[in-house]
Amino acid sequence: MLDNTGFTVLIYKLQENCAGIKQAAILDMIYNHTYPNKKVWTVYQMTRVAGEETDSLNLADFKYKFKRSLQTALKNVTINFREYEDNALWIRIAWGTQYTKPNQYKATYIVYHLQTPYVFISSLRSNLPLLCQALVHASNYHDIHEMELRSRCLDSLKDIVFKRYSQTFQTYHPRPLQERNVAPEKVDPRIIQENKREKERIQRVNQEVFGNGLQPKIEFAQYKLETMFKGEPEMDILTEKEPFRCVVKFSSPHLLEALKSLAPAGMADAPLSPLLTCIPQKARNYFKIKERKDILSASCLGS
Amino acid sequence: MEEATAYLRDGVLSHLEKLEAHARTLALKQEETQQQQEKLARLRARVQELRLQRDELQTKVNLQQVGLIRQERGTGSNVEPIQAVEARGKALLKWEVENVKSMLQAFHLTGISGKLTKQGVCFCISTAYERTYLDSYYLDLLIQQPVQIRHHSVPIFIPLEEIAKKYLQTDIKRFLAMLSEHLNAYAGRKYQADQLQEHFSAFLEGTLQRNLLQNVLLFNYDVETESKTFPFRAKLVYGDVTRSLPTEAIITCKGDVSASLLEKTAAHSNLFCHTALHKAFDSFKRAAERLEQTA
Repeated sequence: MLDNTGFTVLIYKLQENCAGIKQAAILDMIYNHTYPNKKVWTVYQMTRVAGEETDSLNLADFKYKFKRSLQTALKNVTINFREYEDNALWIRIAWGTQYTKPNQYKATYIVYHLQTPYVFISSLRSNLPLLCQALVHASNYHDIHEMELRSRCLDSLKDIVFKRYSQTFQTYHPRPLQERNVAPEKVDPRIIQENKREKERIQRVNQEVFGNGLQPKIEFAQYKLETMFKGEPEMDILTEKEPFRCVVKFSSPHLLEALKSLAPAGMADAPLSPLLTCIPQKARNYFKIKERKDILSASCLGS
Repeated sequence: MEEATAYLRDGVLSHLEKLEAHARTLALKQEETQQQQEKLARLRARVQELRLQRDELQTKVNLQQVGLIRQERGTGSNVEPIQAVEARGKALLKWEVENVKSMLQAFHLTGISGKLTKQGVCFCISTAYERTYLDSYYLDLLIQQPVQIRHHSVPIFIPLEEIAKKYLQTDIKRFLAMLSEHLNAYAGRKYQADQLQEHFSAFLEGTLQRNLLQNVLLFNYDVETESKTFPFRAKLVYGDVTRSLPTEAIITCKGDVSASLLEKTAAHSNLFCHTALHKAFDSFKRAAERLEQTA
């Protein structure tokens, strides 16, 4: 969103040129499409009831149904659509109430790819149920829920849910490794690597877990712990009475690349905890960790 | 004798006792030394045995070496030296490895190949279209009851869950075959559209609109007849997602349309439904070139 003063200036300029709210909204959308990392995007997933056939949906139908669904529920809304080449439909909604006009400064943005069940939403402060109902109705799905996946990088979120990032699979026919520009270091032959084997093992394990390509870009991973405190039996104030609640948050400009470089830098043991490495695979970066019910359950419990 | 008299003073019986004890200890010592001597004799005998064995083996080794050298110098062709045997072993191993590698490569080229993992199998479905190999997609399965997909690289718009629901538990072969069909058809459609964009952009007006599953394509292209260019608009609908040819091709032309133009649209519609997209445009290109040559 252009900041408040920016938007006001824009409105005035457009009014000077006899342009209207619609043009301003479109310009706002173009700006946000070019700089999507100014917002935090949340991923929502739509689900079908088992047995429902997937109809091939028409874009025009979707737009019409969506607009109608929202406008019958709330008259004071401004809805703008814009389609982009990568099959993304961008929707901008400015919300008002029964008695006030839509607030153009706090618009919500929605990105939807037609043949996928995923919707990316940012800047939504209220009216979530209304929006969800409109989306589900317009796209012929049954239900929608929020995935615990948030980031500023919209493309990375798409990579994670569309599975476009590089995953490693065990195969006899390995894909050719991409050439990395590594300048050969001028190694003095008198220097011997004592831990060469261990370094190679770390590299191998790291590659198995993270793959060869660039990781999707997320900025946070948050773990809410509701586990019992396991301490010395003498400190029986805390042991075994109530779950010890705490929140662990990892943040980084590029969290997954940072995690990938931990083991080679010697700061963590390889392999890393599956709680950290399962983020792209489970498509979530907000976790709730409860007590392990039995030994056989997976070590990465989600909520 | 002085001792005896001293002992006699104490008593004859006590003297006798002491002599008895002395005799016992002497006898024990004798026994001990005898045992030690026997042991020593045994060990010496063992040492002799081992020495004999060692000598035997040594002579054997010497004989062999000598024998080999003699044979090398003498005949040289029948019996190979040890190094040649080793080299042959290596070559054989190398050949076997190459053989296995090419078999695995052959399996990979058939389109569906797999590798056993610790907990299951990892399948690789390779797609191809008309002599070109395209992307590969992977499926990591957990072999347990029920069979689960651990993770995969199948794109989101392929109905993997639906196919899995129908066939994964009952008939894995059918599941893989169906999935392979979907993926190959998708790859084929994508390849055709990519080729169109890459090689025949001169014919296209504006951009080629395509959706994620590549099953609805919209584009405008120019057709030259009667020395005029007409803008045609094509909408190709691939109703059957397991096929790479459209089920419906709607060609329209703006403005007044003469009968011959209508014929042309029908002909094009038919062409698109039966020929690959890039090949259809290739035929347009060649027709245009022929016209240029004759004109």
